[in-house]
Amino acid sequence: MFAYILKRILYTIPILFGVSLIVFVLFHLVGGDPTYQMVGKHSKAEQIAQLRHELGLDQSLPMQYLHYVKQIVTFDYGRSYATKQPIGEMISRGAGPSLILAIPAFIITTIAALLIALVSAYYRGRFIDKFVLISCVIGMSAPSLAYILFGQYVLAYKFGIFPISGFEAGFPEALSYVAMPAFIWLVVSMGADVRFFRNAILEETNQDYVRTARSKGLEEKVVYFKHVLKNSMIPIVTYVVIEIPFLLLGAFLLESFFGIPGLGSMTIDAINSSDFPVLKAMTTVNSILFILGTLATDILYTLVDPRVSFK
Amino acid sequence: MNFRKVSCLVIILIGLSACSSKKEKEPENTLHIATLEKIKGLDPAMAGDLYSGDEVARAYEGLLQYHYLKRPYTLVPMLAEAMPAVSEDRKTLTFKIRKGVLFQDDPCFKETNGKGRELVAEDFIYTFKRVADSKTLSEGWWIFDSRVVGLNEWRDEGIKAGKADYAKAVEGLKAEDKYTLKIKLKEPSSQFLYYLAMTFAYVVPHEAVEMYKDDFRRNPVGTGPFVFDRKESNLNSKLIWNKNPTFRKDFYPSEGAPGDKELGLLVDAGKQLPLTDRLVVTVFVEPQPMWLNFMTGKLEISGIPKDNFDQALGADKKLHPEFEQKKIMLHKEPELDITHESFNMSDPLFAKNKFLRQALSMAMNSAQVVDLFYNGRAIAAQGPIPPGLAGYDPALKNPYREFNIEKAKELLKKAGYPNGEGLPVIEYNTLSSSTYRQITEFVEKSFGLIGVKIKVNTYTWPEFIAALKNKKGQMWGYAWVADYPDAENFLQLFYSKNVSPGPNDSNYSNPEYDKLYESSLKLTDGPQRTALYQKMVKILVDDAPWIWAVHRIKFTLSQPWTKNYKLNQLEHSMMKYLRVDTALKK
Repeated sequence: MFAYILKRILYTIPILFGVSLIVFVLFHLVGGDPTYQMVGKHSKAEQIAQLRHELGLDQSLPMQYLHYVKQIVTFDYGRSYATKQPIGEMISRGAGPSLILAIPAFIITTIAALLIALVSAYYRGRFIDKFVLISCVIGMSAPSLAYILFGQYVLAYKFGIFPISGFEAGFPEALSYVAMPAFIWLVVSMGADVRFFRNAILEETNQDYVRTARSKGLEEKVVYFKHVLKNSMIPIVTYVVIEIPFLLLGAFLLESFFGIPGLGSMTIDAINSSDFPVLKAMTTVNSILFILGTLATDILYTLVDPRVSFK
Repeated sequence: MNFRKVSCLVIILIGLSACSSKKEKEPENTLHIATLEKIKGLDPAMAGDLYSGDEVARAYEGLLQYHYLKRPYTLVPMLAEAMPAVSEDRKTLTFKIRKGVLFQDDPCFKETNGKGRELVAEDFIYTFKRVADSKTLSEGWWIFDSRVVGLNEWRDEGIKAGKADYAKAVEGLKAEDKYTLKIKLKEPSSQFLYYLAMTFAYVVPHEAVEMYKDDFRRNPVGTGPFVFDRKESNLNSKLIWNKNPTFRKDFYPSEGAPGDKELGLLVDAGKQLPLTDRLVVTVFVEPQPMWLNFMTGKLEISGIPKDNFDQALGADKKLHPEFEQKKIMLHKEPELDITHESFNMSDPLFAKNKFLRQALSMAMNSAQVVDLFYNGRAIAAQGPIPPGLAGYDPALKNPYREFNIEKAKELLKKAGYPNGEGLPVIEYNTLSSSTYRQITEFVEKSFGLIGVKIKVNTYTWPEFIAALKNKKGQMWGYAWVADYPDAENFLQLFYSKNVSPGPNDSNYSNPEYDKLYESSLKLTDGPQRTALYQKMVKILVDDAPWIWAVHRIKFTLSQPWTKNYKLNQLEHSMMKYLRVDTALKK
């Protein structure tokens, strides 16, 4: 197992190199030059040149790329152009609020979606199943912004159930502020999750071994929960684990509307101000997490499916 | 622990926290306000945007400030004891600094065990040098650039050496004694005092800059009315400012503009500032939550988002009865600004063809712009100078801002493009936001009325600025907001020495205009200078380097318990004058 993991980690090096190259080229092609914005409205050519020098933007592109690679290797992404704060510190400060929202929302959504999918698949074709499917389509059809506006206006402003927006650091204060965005997350993601999980479960119920189990006289519940559920976990685990790295990236829209100072809103700010160092750091961190996520998925396969081995 | 247990636990925790109370009780006299952008930092040298400027002015102060109540905007002393003594040649300004003013307590003052030391004239010299230091990357360098004797040379030496020498004297900046600051200018300048009232010139102690280095942006140490709560604040979500216990003697003004007394704005005359114990500034990136928080009384002051305008005001621009019953106050004032469509005069198409510019100007309906994009909250602009500044002529009627398609077509014919025939497609730069998309569609439709077509280049903000500064594209929409209350701030946008990357983004160049502009710089405020300004406006109206769009009108609401609120577009420290009527709030 150790050799397998090591091999997979070594595979990530060329992938990461490729990602870094794409990120670098992309930001230099379409990102816009931040100096004109940073220098202010009363700028002169001499000041712009001076600023470009201070930021190292007057160096050749290969030199700038090498500097970027060094940052990836040392995990030191320098300072933000816009705020001058160390990026490592910005990420660690933003990760908390993002995860406080994302983790409970993700766990609750996944568990609830799985339970609903099981029930729906169990009663396939019957009223409950149809009701679930229609609800899923309705839930997926409305844009998340509609849920946000409705939640803020009705649940927070009219009924005062939740705070309208804001964020307080610390536990449990933070939870009252993330309760409504987490609920909206659940409503928005539930439809797609339930449909995917239901399909994965139904696919297994049509397998030969299920028919065999039933013909052997096994109780339907045993067939369903002991055999079908376990085997349908492979696509489900892949689907769920792949999502985990994105949790750290934060929820862009929810964080913006609810004033949560997480990594999602930080990334949007960085895009708006062409804050390359922050964008490069966030893209690289996300790539690393994604690669680790796929690695974790592969390892988890072996736990849910004995046919998969570390080869 | 199985999944079901975990999910139950999470749900219970969320439920419990919804009922939990705040950690610490706020003082009753706490003012809650909103800011519409995340705060980039709290360093005066970097406070280039309006929002950072407001926050910086809670902790820091400068030599001069604008009178809170008087209009037109009037400079009054802040940390200076009085307005400066000006030499006969108007090149030397001598400031007497207030005695006994203390910096806020901070660990950076090691010699006094964290107690804030007294402010001295040398602090201003350090501050101005810091703005000039190329390593600071200050957006505010332009306020001193080529103005103070010896300061450019000092900056250049620093660039050459790789490090500025703060110990080296600058001829134009001298501390004659502990409390006397002498500034020597290369040329007399009527605007220089306004520059000193800008947040870039707010005084910082060298101890704090040296101790906090790059983190100075998050550790403000000034002489101002409020102390930043570093533990509880987050520049991205909420900033908490507490009353500075060592704040200098500074009192609420005893006189104001006509009508202020009747509005109750002089009730607190002579009272020690700040009048509020705490100021909580919440960042709202989206307008809806800000609006809903105001409607529930959780914000003392709020702007009116575009989408909620009809909810608050009727067609007559008066508050709806529901708001009047709640005794919510409406405040409105024309902004010192202008929005416009620029012609790139460095482009051969527009450089020499005045008729083409005039034709396009006449094809755009100002009244529609005001209604469609500003809910009627704007005045159609006739020239560059906004209302409220000397030089603004309310009687001015720009012949090329009349919406008249027939005349526009005639001008287009004179330009050599009858019905737009033979005219290349115009490259129009715009931003990707929905509002800009709508404005662009309007421009496209307006020009289409006379047969002119545009090709739209959609950019992000940094790309847009980069294109503009590199003179790319032929037209774009833009706006200018006053830095100081002098029409010169708008007229310098057409001075040929300020072309891109300077603030003259249309790259307009007219020797006659330049001559008049240079003459105006030598004059002080008065009828002669105003007449010169109006002469320059006349040239611009005829030359049409911009399609003058609108001067916006600012609408703000305040809760009935918010006392002393008056719109002030230039004075960043205005929150020190406000207070909460706690009895009324209950």
